[in-house]
Amino acid sequence: MSSEIEVRTPAGALATENIVDRTARFERDAMQYTNQLFAAAMRYTKNPHDAQDLVQDTYAKAFTSFHQFEPGTNLKAWLYRILTTTFINTYRKDQRRPLISDGEVEDWQLAASASHTSDQGKSAEDEVLENLPDGDVKRALHEIPEEFRLAVFYADVEGYSYKEIADILGIPAGTVMSRLHRGRKLLRTLLADYAKDRGYGGSDGM
Amino acid sequence: MQKIADMAALMECNQVLHALVLFIDNEIEDQNEVQTFESHLAQCPPCLREMEHERAVLNRMKNLLSNECCEPAPDELHERIAKQTALLASQMFSPTQIITEYRRTETTINGETLIEIETTHEIRRDFPLS
Repeated sequence: MSSEIEVRTPAGALATENIVDRTARFERDAMQYTNQLFAAAMRYTKNPHDAQDLVQDTYAKAFTSFHQFEPGTNLKAWLYRILTTTFINTYRKDQRRPLISDGEVEDWQLAASASHTSDQGKSAEDEVLENLPDGDVKRALHEIPEEFRLAVFYADVEGYSYKEIADILGIPAGTVMSRLHRGRKLLRTLLADYAKDRGYGGSDGM
Repeated sequence: MQKIADMAALMECNQVLHALVLFIDNEIEDQNEVQTFESHLAQCPPCLREMEHERAVLNRMKNLLSNECCEPAPDELHERIAKQTALLASQMFSPTQIITEYRRTETTINGETLIEIETTHEIRRDFPLS
């Protein structure tokens, strides 16, 4: 009874890894990211039930294509890429795409950053961020459109570069840049709005 | 002439402000551009204040986001993934089968019958779809 699976190594040489070894390698290397993948999946689905299904489906796809993963490259980013395609194929099939085009985002970004912020605006923003109650940032992140939310998550929580995010989300790096900047601005505006509702940080300087 | 110099200084501020976030994110690849940026910041207190403020706000946002976007996976999910992996592995671990097919052809021409028997062997093993 033979059950060997052919694995192409990056050098192009043909190596073999049996399924038992491959499973052990997967359990050791890939399954340690379940918590991080779940936290990421929460940003895609916004509810724990769908996030669990999404992560489970992601691990199924990752396992059956694990021989295609190039050892030595970033495994977590590879899993995030599978998470993204799984989400798009399963959960977003008949949803409409967000309506804001990237061109509009660029224009908005140029207009928004053309002058220095007043000192008043700066201290108002500091006040907002100092007094933020728990849960506000997550609430704001979940209120902004998906494409901006994911760019912000991968940059500001996971610390990936624009190029790495482009690879994970399957979009050009320039698009990552505009979505990230727009997403961050939207977040800050929302946080200022929450603060205003609570009666502090009342300036429009943000 | 003074006006033109003022305009150049103003334009430089605009350029710096437009790309401020790229500078903070370490996304400016051209090292000459990074140096120009730094020399402008060293000479221009309003741009420096802007950069420091933006960086402080961004770091604060990153901390807040990281603290709140780290829900651990439920135990149930860890178990589901472990089971699923074991199941998929057992499906991939499939024995080799040899399948033999026989085909019998009878042809009768002018009362004479010709019987042909063809045999094919096929070695079959399941591979995962990927």
